[in-house]
Amino acid sequence: MRLPKFEYLCPDTLDGALELLATHGQDAKILAGGTDLLVRMKKGLLRPIFIISLKALNELSYIKIEDGALKIGARTSIANIIASDQIQKQAPALYQACEKIGAATIQHYRGTIGGNILQDNRCHHYNQSQFYRSGRQACHKDGGKICYARDDSDRCNSTCQSDGATALTALDAQVVLAGKGYERTVNLTDFYTTDGIMPFAMDSSELLKEIIIPFSSGQSAYQRLAYRSAIDYPIVCSSVLLTPDTGKKKIAHARIVVGAMGRSPLFLAHESDSLKGKALDDTAAFRKAAHSSMNSAATFAVHNVGATLEYRCAMVSEMVFRALEQAARALKA
Amino acid sequence: MDKIDITLNINNKPFEVTVSPNDTLLEVLRDTLDLTGSKESCGEGVCGSCTVQMDGNPVRSCLTLAMEAEVANIKTVEGLANGDELSGLQQSFIDHGAVQCGFCTPGMLMTADALLHANPNPDENTIRKALGGNICRCTGYAKIVTAVAHASDPQDDCPDCKNGGKTKE
Repeated sequence: MRLPKFEYLCPDTLDGALELLATHGQDAKILAGGTDLLVRMKKGLLRPIFIISLKALNELSYIKIEDGALKIGARTSIANIIASDQIQKQAPALYQACEKIGAATIQHYRGTIGGNILQDNRCHHYNQSQFYRSGRQACHKDGGKICYARDDSDRCNSTCQSDGATALTALDAQVVLAGKGYERTVNLTDFYTTDGIMPFAMDSSELLKEIIIPFSSGQSAYQRLAYRSAIDYPIVCSSVLLTPDTGKKKIAHARIVVGAMGRSPLFLAHESDSLKGKALDDTAAFRKAAHSSMNSAATFAVHNVGATLEYRCAMVSEMVFRALEQAARALKA
Repeated sequence: MDKIDITLNINNKPFEVTVSPNDTLLEVLRDTLDLTGSKESCGEGVCGSCTVQMDGNPVRSCLTLAMEAEVANIKTVEGLANGDELSGLQQSFIDHGAVQCGFCTPGMLMTADALLHANPNPDENTIRKALGGNICRCTGYAKIVTAVAHASDPQDDCPDCKNGGKTKE
């Protein structure tokens, strides 16, 4: 498959990149690892006039501890995240999620964490070849007015299948977006718009610069279900963060996030709150919260990423339960 | 969208090539430089038959722009053998019958070669995980996994190791 034509720009500095984005933002796409972008371009889903490569911007590749938080440069490769002791210790959910992203040869060395959380929403009806799509009317995401995944839907129901996004949402992470002459920090929960066509609340002239994970005294965990672990995107995933009280016997605060079931990672506030004050070995409470998560997530999901909807919904409960058990086990250890 | 002259460092030799920005590394390797060992199969990063090494790491050449590979040390399957002498890994693939149609073999070899450099004595799980991104439709993988395991550690009780080229020497 040939890539469509484009102009290749390779700025040497971050300022240079932001200048280019300010000028060409509308017609440009950022190239980091290319494992998501180039596939979409090959399928004709995107035809940017300019490609701005981050190849020379080594300043965006780092993992450091600063101001009581873990800071990760957006261009840090998945392989470097997996190899980092700091991330294994401070953000085990992110480590577990990154380890499960695709196969090492596909994503880990070329793919970046920034690219992972900015990977476009997917749908079986949209992520197809040009030939396949040419035989039918365009869907919402393709510029048309139809949703093949949900009948009579007035909007795009594509699914956010990013492993990193789900884990980072559970870890209550923030992202730093840089524009020409300014920077702004956005909570990840606000960053995802729940709009299938434009999933991210960022301007085309902005660049994702950094991911900030606040320190937590809790433990996090990530669980995912995919057809073929090395190749496929998750069809259901869940990540949780459990923070214990001072006695380390009860849960003071919980965050339950379900991924690959909606247009953005689903932070389930009600289910998270239900675990407040529960003992770390209260399996019944975990089951109840997991079951409730299934019901909440089921309202958002459509049948568009493989497996039947019934199966995926049923598995939400299992993934959330396993993640809760895993995090609680780590806390007790 | 002009063509651009770049130098690619492939198998320790510099190659001056003229590329378009939208040329992938795989297209330049195969079409411009006639290094046709790396194969294109799916073209979207799923199957692994186009795997080459960049700075020792296995990557998909079909999802890497030639322009992005400019400063890296690239190793293709052609760089494994030393003249007519096959590498231990290649010989092990032959001895253990790890090659059938052969289309996935260059990718398998490049992924396994990178693994063996990072971890000279991997266990079966490690090998299976490392080769997880390479698809083979013929062998059923068992012989490939054995070939990789026995490449660095020939087994006395393995008839393929005993009778193969490696232990004859």
